[in-house]
Amino acid sequence: MADAPVDVLIIGAGASGAALAWSLADTRMNILCLEQGDWMDPEKYPAAGRDWEIRGFGDFSVSPNTRGRPEDYPVNDSDSPIAASMFNAVGGSTILYAAHFPRFRPSDFKVKTLDGIADDWPLDYERLAPYYDENARMMGVAGLAGDPAYPPKALPLPPVPLGKLGETLAGGFNKLGWHWWPSDSAIATQDYEGRAACINAGPCLTGCAQGAKASTDITYWPVAIRRGVTLKTRCRVREITVGPDGLADGVVYYDADGAERKQRAEVVVLACNGIGTPRLLLNSRSKRFPEGLANRSGMVGQNLMFHPYAMVTGLFEDRLEGYKGPMGCCLMSQEFYETDRTRGFVRGYSIETLRGLPPVSTALWGMTQGRIPWGAEHRRAYDAIFDRTAGMVIICEDLPEGHNRVTLDPELVDTDGIPAPKVTYRLSENSTRMLAHAVARGKEVLEAAGATETFAEAPLPIAGWHLMGTARMGTDPATSVVNEWGRAHDVKNLFIIDGSIFVTAAGVNPTNTIQALALYIGDMIKKNLANLFD
Amino acid sequence: MSATTTTQPISAAQVRTLASVLDEIVPPSDDARFPGAGALGLAAYVEQTMAHTPDLHQMTMQGLAALDRLVQAKGAESFTALCRADRLAMLHALTTTEPAFLPTLTFHTYVGYYQHERVLEALHLDPRPPYPKGFEMPPSDLTTLLAPVRRRAER
Repeated sequence: MADAPVDVLIIGAGASGAALAWSLADTRMNILCLEQGDWMDPEKYPAAGRDWEIRGFGDFSVSPNTRGRPEDYPVNDSDSPIAASMFNAVGGSTILYAAHFPRFRPSDFKVKTLDGIADDWPLDYERLAPYYDENARMMGVAGLAGDPAYPPKALPLPPVPLGKLGETLAGGFNKLGWHWWPSDSAIATQDYEGRAACINAGPCLTGCAQGAKASTDITYWPVAIRRGVTLKTRCRVREITVGPDGLADGVVYYDADGAERKQRAEVVVLACNGIGTPRLLLNSRSKRFPEGLANRSGMVGQNLMFHPYAMVTGLFEDRLEGYKGPMGCCLMSQEFYETDRTRGFVRGYSIETLRGLPPVSTALWGMTQGRIPWGAEHRRAYDAIFDRTAGMVIICEDLPEGHNRVTLDPELVDTDGIPAPKVTYRLSENSTRMLAHAVARGKEVLEAAGATETFAEAPLPIAGWHLMGTARMGTDPATSVVNEWGRAHDVKNLFIIDGSIFVTAAGVNPTNTIQALALYIGDMIKKNLANLFD
Repeated sequence: MSATTTTQPISAAQVRTLASVLDEIVPPSDDARFPGAGALGLAAYVEQTMAHTPDLHQMTMQGLAALDRLVQAKGAESFTALCRADRLAMLHALTTTEPAFLPTLTFHTYVGYYQHERVLEALHLDPRPPYPKGFEMPPSDLTTLLAPVRRRAER
């Protein structure tokens, strides 16, 4: 069954798809987005129930394999020390993300020039800066101006509160003379554009029932739809098809009833994340593209970058009120961000402090750490830990390596029978050394803040939140998949706008940069409409 | 090990045994501020969780059956009727013969216990989910806190 052709077809309604849809809406083109997930109902998010903590291990798990919702596709990540995380819905993974929203730093775009590693991006910070500003306005970014780690930037809302826990940790950074700054957070700290202000409830990672966290289902999408963009949910794309002229001519997808349909389009845009996008390209094989669409370079699926994470937790004598405040946003330090070769590795990392563990999580963490036993000692052990922990995640810059990749699993399929992705990933020597350094510095700052004991885990196995590099951008068609504005070298009406196109990973959360890139690519499409396929 | 199936219902006697086991996993506090997990009624929570968690159901039924065999071997009336030392000895014996029983049951006990209103109150928390009330958080004195960072940047 064939649907009426559209001008632009966007696959995926997450962070980047939403931003691009909004950007292109003012062209009055006929724009359609197909999303395999559905609209989420914030009233059904776990935060209003007593079982809110445990649902993060179940139907609101970050892992599609654990969650197993009908709209999820499985990911074979058995050959990786880091498991892939994502969410499939209108809003994509922004439904569950922490909303920690830093920008890349100017150095992140030129690591080959600065450090002789990987590649420079074909664009720079200055090019993206206006789009970061625009994204800050659309998402509603909270933060404090003046961070010496960054050039001046737009921050329309005041920062999230540090709370007693944040102030305690800030004291540790100050004692050591290290950089720190209140986190840039995509959280409405005041009423903003129809969104209610954050109430510091805490469980951002299972969806924001308050609607303060900027997931794209409540930021970009309502505006884009009002401006005429069509969004169809529960539509899972199987493959992108190619016409006799070598251009993409549309997609084959399964609708909400499981019926196979054909959607024709003049322009096709991939916004499926760093695993979903290479999966779809590799599933789109034809005589003209026997190794997968837009894959003449062989780079589709290669150079997968996660951010290897360390988690370091300190135990304090006093209660810290750590159950208050946005779970993943407090303060960030970039003291060890740039390359210092005396440390034994290149590039660096950000330290992002978290809130404390709520009641159930305290018990389960203590159980897995062997710190909270059952039996007579239980009460004393639990009370010594509850509300006395403060933690941090440390985000290490990953480097692109060809052997870290996404391929198609020969056996695993989703509920529509579409081959599922397989992740093959090895932690590099550089990352291993960086993690060791990060753990030591994390413990040092926690002790400076007053921690009596510290605990660390690195790499954090569940932390495959950031999926990057598998269809990277560049000016050379032999070594990259898309050009400097997201257009596939091999298919001139095919664009990729998600984290797949990252050249390097930086050492910060990527969503702000993913969206800034999508807005930039949207502007480039609009500027080049007359000769888009030349 | 006895053969059990996920459809086997839990008997009233097994529920009583389960409650006693839960009271050993999380005993009441000496000052009685925190109730024991069994006395709190968490056997019903575990039973409810078993209904939609086949692995938990099978493991719990096997563990309770193994406990029952130990009780019978001792010639006792029931697990509940044993003295505390004997109950603990039997539970520790199970860690060898039914190694998954206590860790799995402990996990679910902790989950049920630490979301219970009475326990939240004992922890000096409001006995409610975080939404819709949230929490008040006064703003920090960022000018003072960040002064060292700014001074360093100016140097």
